[in-house]
Amino acid sequence: MDGLRRGVGDGVRVAVRALVYAVVGGVSLLAVVTVGSVLGPMVVLDLATPAMAAWWTVFTAVAVQGIPFLLLGTVVSAAIGAFVPERVFKRVLPRNPVLAVPVAGAAGVVLPGCECASVPVADSLMRRGVAPAAALAFLLSAPAVNPVVLVATSIAFPGDPAMVGARLVASLAAAVVMGWLWVRFGKEEWLPSVRRGGGGPAAAGGWRGFRDGLQHDFLHAGGFLVLGAAAAATFNILVPRSLLDVFTGSPWLSVLLLAVLAVVLCVCSEADAFVAASLTGFSPTARLAFMVVGPMVDLKLVALQAGTFGRAFAVRFSSATWVVAVLSSVLVGGWLL
Amino acid sequence: MSRRPRVRLRPQGVLLLLCGAALLRIALFGELYLRYVKEGLRPYLVASGAALVALALLNLLTRTAPHDEHDHDEHDQDEHGHDHTRTPRIAWLLTAPALALLLFPPPALGSYSAEREEARVAAQGAGTFPELPAGDPVDLTLGAFASRAQWDTGASLAGRTVRLTGFVTHSDDGTWSVARLLVTCCAADAQALKVEVRGETPPPADTWVTVTGTWHPTGTPGTPAARPVLDATSVKRTTTPTDPYEKR
Repeated sequence: MDGLRRGVGDGVRVAVRALVYAVVGGVSLLAVVTVGSVLGPMVVLDLATPAMAAWWTVFTAVAVQGIPFLLLGTVVSAAIGAFVPERVFKRVLPRNPVLAVPVAGAAGVVLPGCECASVPVADSLMRRGVAPAAALAFLLSAPAVNPVVLVATSIAFPGDPAMVGARLVASLAAAVVMGWLWVRFGKEEWLPSVRRGGGGPAAAGGWRGFRDGLQHDFLHAGGFLVLGAAAAATFNILVPRSLLDVFTGSPWLSVLLLAVLAVVLCVCSEADAFVAASLTGFSPTARLAFMVVGPMVDLKLVALQAGTFGRAFAVRFSSATWVVAVLSSVLVGGWLL
Repeated sequence: MSRRPRVRLRPQGVLLLLCGAALLRIALFGELYLRYVKEGLRPYLVASGAALVALALLNLLTRTAPHDEHDHDEHDQDEHGHDHTRTPRIAWLLTAPALALLLFPPPALGSYSAEREEARVAAQGAGTFPELPAGDPVDLTLGAFASRAQWDTGASLAGRTVRLTGFVTHSDDGTWSVARLLVTCCAADAQALKVEVRGETPPPADTWVTVTGTWHPTGTPGTPAARPVLDATSVKRTTTPTDPYEKR
């Protein structure tokens, strides 16, 4: 009886609250519309320029494209956090981080998504006691070497299986080298989430923990995805791709140029092979660099990493990864292409 | 003193609901998603939208246990991460794309993007192409027409009347083209496909048209001189197709 009354009371409270929200929201909306219709014409003309419209389209497109993969990543990471006990990873991965790095890099094959999914998963792996070096190797290799991406690459470069092989080898090599560099030079204090160790007050196991973790991680990473999407859209509008044809002359410059382009364009790893294939004026090695760097370092990823692991980490890690990925694609490109 | 459990409008729930509703609106209750991503992503968008809405409803409708009532507010000692009941401030950015999709979905990319991009055709190398399908006129995608015009040493386009559909773009040199954007994954990777049209007066930019005409050879296939050009016999206005981008 008491419970029922309480339930009714709660219902009324929610209804009142919703009403208040609706009224406040409605009034402010009306105010905005009134002001807008007075000042509107000038502002709207500005907003409705084709460039602005294109910006909004690219911005929403990157966000819409990223959200299903981000959700997949956060579901996997929340499930790892809530249901997989630490000892599982201890048993599967070699104890020595130097050996665990290549194993984790190769394990990247199993996560069929683009780079948005791998950041939360790597984070939850670290919290579950996986050596940061191994989790980072997984973070870098997963978006680059999974079957979906490799198939897309082979479709984009028909009759050129060497490109698929080169992409696989160069990406794995870069991921493993980054993992080993972390073993040798990495500092725990760059990774605040690990330093604190697994399990906070709300990191409960079971469904409740799963739901809370999922909700929090999705909203958190989603915010950074939006930030990255805004950056990507801005560069997309500011840098016409046709400008690139000017720089196709020097082979070295073109490798560096495409490696920078991969960072600013933030093309999803499942699509970057098609974009690379369309950059016809560039050497195969330069296109390989575009495909190796893109899934490992781009503005959207840096934003996601800064949000998940902290800014100090994201800046150091991304710049080192960029250098390693470029070197790896130059070496592999010289060998295979 | 025991505090009663209660139902609250929590910010996390509202944010999740907005995101889920936006996804469902563009992917389930319409075809708007085709302006941003590929057809193949639809099931994932619908599933994500449904999952987010479900998560939001769970969040909004379940009672909070009394013991974690105290730690919801914006400021607390924990810098990041482990207090999973708090809304990360960065998450509010999600309202921008969500509200945009719900209230004024941004238009598909059009002539602005096509004009900025050099027309590209995937490198194929010169060679012969299979016969065109029967039909007079024969409907071709801009990509098919352009690659045959640029690479086909067998001149399979010669003597055929073709029909192309796309939007109008104007070039600085006074010529106009029928264009379409080729999207691989999402609108961020759009590449332009353009076929120059000769012999008809140009409609305004971004008008969707169906152009009928014959191929106008401009040079030896496989060389840069071979560009896709069409001698038009008719230009008809048409409605924007559901999928504004060309399929690969």
